[in-house]
Amino acid sequence: MKKLTCLFLLFVSLHSLAATQRVEIMGMVCAFCAQGIEKSLQTIDDVDDIYINIDNYFVVIDSTSEKGIPDEMIKNIIVDAGYDVKKIELIDESVKNVRAQYEKK
Amino acid sequence: MRNLLPTFFYLGFVCTFPLQVLSAPMSYKGSNTTMIDFSKHYSKIDSGYALTAKDTLGLKLFRAKGEGYELQGEEFYYLRRLGRINDIKSQSNLWLFLSTGMIDIKKNNASDDEFYLSPALQADYETRRIYVMGSYQLMRPAGYNFDTSKMKAGFSFYKTSYEETQPWFILELSHTNRLSEKLEVIPTLRLINKALYFEAGISTEGDPKLHLMYTF
Repeated sequence: MKKLTCLFLLFVSLHSLAATQRVEIMGMVCAFCAQGIEKSLQTIDDVDDIYINIDNYFVVIDSTSEKGIPDEMIKNIIVDAGYDVKKIELIDESVKNVRAQYEKK
Repeated sequence: MRNLLPTFFYLGFVCTFPLQVLSAPMSYKGSNTTMIDFSKHYSKIDSGYALTAKDTLGLKLFRAKGEGYELQGEEFYYLRRLGRINDIKSQSNLWLFLSTGMIDIKKNNASDDEFYLSPALQADYETRRIYVMGSYQLMRPAGYNFDTSKMKAGFSFYKTSYEETQPWFILELSHTNRLSEKLEVIPTLRLINKALYFEAGISTEGDPKLHLMYTF
C-alpha cells in the first residue's frame, strides 16, 4: 500500500512539473511541411508528446519541464525547419486533451 | 507556342513576385529528400541532404529522350532557397538550382560526352487548397539547347487532418527544347501523406508519368 501511495505521489508530482505549449506557425500549409516540424521538435530532449493541427496552423507540445521548452529554442528549431513562429503560449490543457477536442469535430 | 513559353514564364515570374507568389524540393535542416521520376521521355533519381533550412547538396542521375535525341546525365547539384514568405495560410518560395555534371548526348548513332553547368529558377505558392509552380532550367552543354520550362497549378479536393492522405489535382505543362515539338500537358493526381509525396499522371499524348518524393 505504501508503495502504491508513493507511486501515486510520484506520478502526481511528475505530472505537475509538466508544461504544455501551443505554437502558432506560419507557412505550415501541408502535411509534408508539418512532418518536418514534428521531426525537428522531436529532437528536443524534454518533449514528451506533440499534436499537429494543420487546419488551424498550430502545434501543441507537452514537455517534462516545469516551465516548458524555452521559447527561443522552439523558435530556432521551427526556423531551421523553414517556417516562422507567430505566437507561443503556455496552456492548461495537455496534448491528449487538445487532440481529443479537435478529433471530435 | 514553345518559343513563347520562356517569355510567358518570365512574365509570370515578374507578375507573381510582387504578389508574394511563390513550396518545395527540400525539407528541414539535416533531412534527406529523395525523388524518383519515371516516364517514357524522362526518368531521374536524385537525393539531397539539407545542410541548413536553405541549402541542400545532392546527386542526380537522369535520362531523357525525344525527337531522335537520347540524353543521359550524372550531376552534382546545389539547391538554395533564395526566399520564402511564410504567411499564416500560405507559403511562397523562390529556389535556385545550380547543377554541374557530365551528359552523354546521342543522336543518329553519334555520341557526345559533354560537361555542363545548369542553373534553374523555381517559384511556387501553396495554401491548404491551392498550388502553383513555375520553373525554368537553362541546359546548354556545348552549344546544344535543352532548356526546360515547366508550370504546375492545381487544387486539393478537400482539406485533411495531419494523419490523413490529402489528394490533389495538378495540371502540369512542360517543354524541353529539342526533345519535344509540342508542349506536354499532364493532368496529375497528387497524394501527400506526411513525408511521402506521390504523383501519377497521363499526358494528353497518352504517356504515363510517376513521381515519388520521400524525406527522412
